[in-house]
Amino acid sequence: MKIDIERLKHIVGENNVKDNIADLYVYGSDSSVHEAIPSVVIRPEKAKEVQEIVRYANTGLIPVVARGAGSGTSGHTVPIDGGIVMDLRRMNRILAIRPRDILCRVEPGVVCDDLNKALQPYGLWFPSAPESGRIATIGGTIANNGSGVRAVKYGTMRDYVLGMKVVLANGDLVTLGADTRAQASGYQLDRLIVGSEGTLGIIVEATLFLRHLPKFRAMGIANFNRLEDAGETISDIVASEVTPSLLELVDDVAIAALNKTLNMNLPQVEAIVVYECDGRLKEAVDYDMKTIKEICEKHNAFGIEMSSDAKEMERIYSGRKKLFAALSRYREGFACTSLADDMAVPSSKIAECARLIHEIGERNNVVMTAYGHCGEGVLHTKILMDATRKEQWEDARRAVDEVYNYVRSVGGTTSGEHGIAISKAPSWKKEKADSLQMMKAIKTALDPNNILNPHKLMDAPDDWVTATKLRYPVQL
Amino acid sequence: MEFTRLKKWGNELNICIRCGYCYEHCPLYRESNWEIDTPRGKLLLTYGLLTGEVEPSAQIAEKLFECFYCKNCSRSCSAKVSPTDILTDVRADLIEFGFKAQGTTVKHNEKLCIACGRCVTVCKSEALSMDITNTKILVDKIKCKGCGVCVAECPVGAMSQKLGFGISKEELYAKVESSLRSMNGIPKVIVFICNWSINPGLQLSRMELTEEGDSSGIIMTLCAGRIDPGLILDTFFQGAWGVMIACCPIDECEHDGNYRAQERCALVERLLDVLGVEPQRLKLEYFANGEAQKLKSALNSFVNAMASLGPI
Repeated sequence: MKIDIERLKHIVGENNVKDNIADLYVYGSDSSVHEAIPSVVIRPEKAKEVQEIVRYANTGLIPVVARGAGSGTSGHTVPIDGGIVMDLRRMNRILAIRPRDILCRVEPGVVCDDLNKALQPYGLWFPSAPESGRIATIGGTIANNGSGVRAVKYGTMRDYVLGMKVVLANGDLVTLGADTRAQASGYQLDRLIVGSEGTLGIIVEATLFLRHLPKFRAMGIANFNRLEDAGETISDIVASEVTPSLLELVDDVAIAALNKTLNMNLPQVEAIVVYECDGRLKEAVDYDMKTIKEICEKHNAFGIEMSSDAKEMERIYSGRKKLFAALSRYREGFACTSLADDMAVPSSKIAECARLIHEIGERNNVVMTAYGHCGEGVLHTKILMDATRKEQWEDARRAVDEVYNYVRSVGGTTSGEHGIAISKAPSWKKEKADSLQMMKAIKTALDPNNILNPHKLMDAPDDWVTATKLRYPVQL
Repeated sequence: MEFTRLKKWGNELNICIRCGYCYEHCPLYRESNWEIDTPRGKLLLTYGLLTGEVEPSAQIAEKLFECFYCKNCSRSCSAKVSPTDILTDVRADLIEFGFKAQGTTVKHNEKLCIACGRCVTVCKSEALSMDITNTKILVDKIKCKGCGVCVAECPVGAMSQKLGFGISKEELYAKVESSLRSMNGIPKVIVFICNWSINPGLQLSRMELTEEGDSSGIIMTLCAGRIDPGLILDTFFQGAWGVMIACCPIDECEHDGNYRAQERCALVERLLDVLGVEPQRLKLEYFANGEAQKLKSALNSFVNAMASLGPI
């Protein structure tokens, strides 16, 4: 693959192109287990520059991988075939906030939490910011159909994208969607781009629907001696008339990791459930909180705490917020790998799934945790293992297979939140077997030369372990 | 080449999940927007050096000597990985290999130096020492944290930093000028904010709802110890009605920059008094990390006070 660096420099300026090994190396990984080095990194600032780059890449059959914060956990931005990595974080302008239309227009590099900070004075809010919202970009969140802890009430990114501007593989710029919430029949192509993981086009602008900031919020935390009780509680809450704005499970492995890494002093029980309700009326919020508390008590919860004080709520939630990284120190010599990390199952299966995850981990010589946004059925399952030992990757491969076999058997899905990319593609391909050809046909129609984020989703290798070099010092 | 010191961090580099949360408040990344300038990028480079995937080079050494040691990265890491500790060891290894990197460490100009030794006394990291025999200042590049306190302290400009990432002495002067120029509203107030204690506003995005640009008057400095008396006076000369300096609470500054700010503010207040300018136009305030609300109310009352005082 020959890339004309000078031509790229001509498009974006000399200071926005890097092709030295140091810069290329750091753009070769994200928060997944994968690693692959790009041939060049480029930072456009305008849609027109993105168009020119993609047009050039299409002619030269050069892969283009769009990248935001690089916080993905499945290898979305890992340039499996090398080529151009396009860092879109210079396109970071909030272009318009229109309170009367309850929408905003943003560039893809705008950081989710920054957007919420900017919306606050207008009393507005973008609820679909993921937990990584402090760095995650809007572009990446759309491309991944990300969501956050509040998806249980407020839905995922797909519910908030009204329209967008997208650069297609031939360099054309198309405007999709409209500034209205209701958009009737016809192929809703903007929704197709959401979750396409950079394989169909590069998002250069998005129009997002917003919500009014809730006037009242209250949060609760409940401890359970049995994981099954916590699972039943979650199922009952989801099935009740109350829609919490957050409903999280934290299991014993996660509790131990938090206590060890961050001295959180949480009770070492089998499970903790954190819940939150919000609304316009304090009485309504209190009533919902009371209903959830009663459900928790019905299932033997103890040590229930509730608060509507902002600081106290922050304290209650702080453990959950810091969990992902804290798991890394669960056991000496173990690393926290993002594998099978965000399956979703029907809410009535949460307890069964969480218990099974622990058993699968145990019989495959790894530690697996089960925590996550259980309100919407998502369980985060990190695999904690000695990532420097070859045998552990065999163990992890088996464990991942077993987890996903179960998930598919109960009508769940491979990824509820973090996306497919490389790590989850093998299971996802089995799950979507009937529609893979349809998806391939769409991809071929929009990107006939397969330059946009190639070898991801349906084109990803069948074995995730050997798909790329692993980011850990291990010889397979 | 064996990275004898870096070697011990191998497990920590595996523990890092590369989530990237460490770069949210990184002053280097905020200025350059390149991944290599993030703490995550630097950890990746050290991992590459350790595993042999990346060959050590002058360019890589230079990169790894770029850090202000504000430690916002360590604080934001829930896996409790400390990028700065790892960086210090890889720097020592690189120096042993013969690389002569400068990065953000300070540089001493012998020709300008009057050997007063003030830089040595203000350096909390003990990175500076005086060679008595030829009255030369020696810089220990491994100990130097690039805080810039000595640069602001030197009365003759003999200490400098090659790379400022937007917060060098010259860049701060330029920011004051452009900030005051773009300020439409009154009163005109400049607030120097320490990156370590408070991070206000949008971190990595830009608001383009108006064409006036940033008129908040808030300028990040990394450490209050970087603000020399000349900069404060210049801010008044440029038309500011008031100057507020926000720094870490007493005993909490990594570089003792708040003590330096205290001394310098006292000096400038005396000068203002002599010049017939109300000393209360200069205010030093202390904020611990996370005290954004306290900053907001302090800022509001300062702005109100300046509004009643009017322009100088």
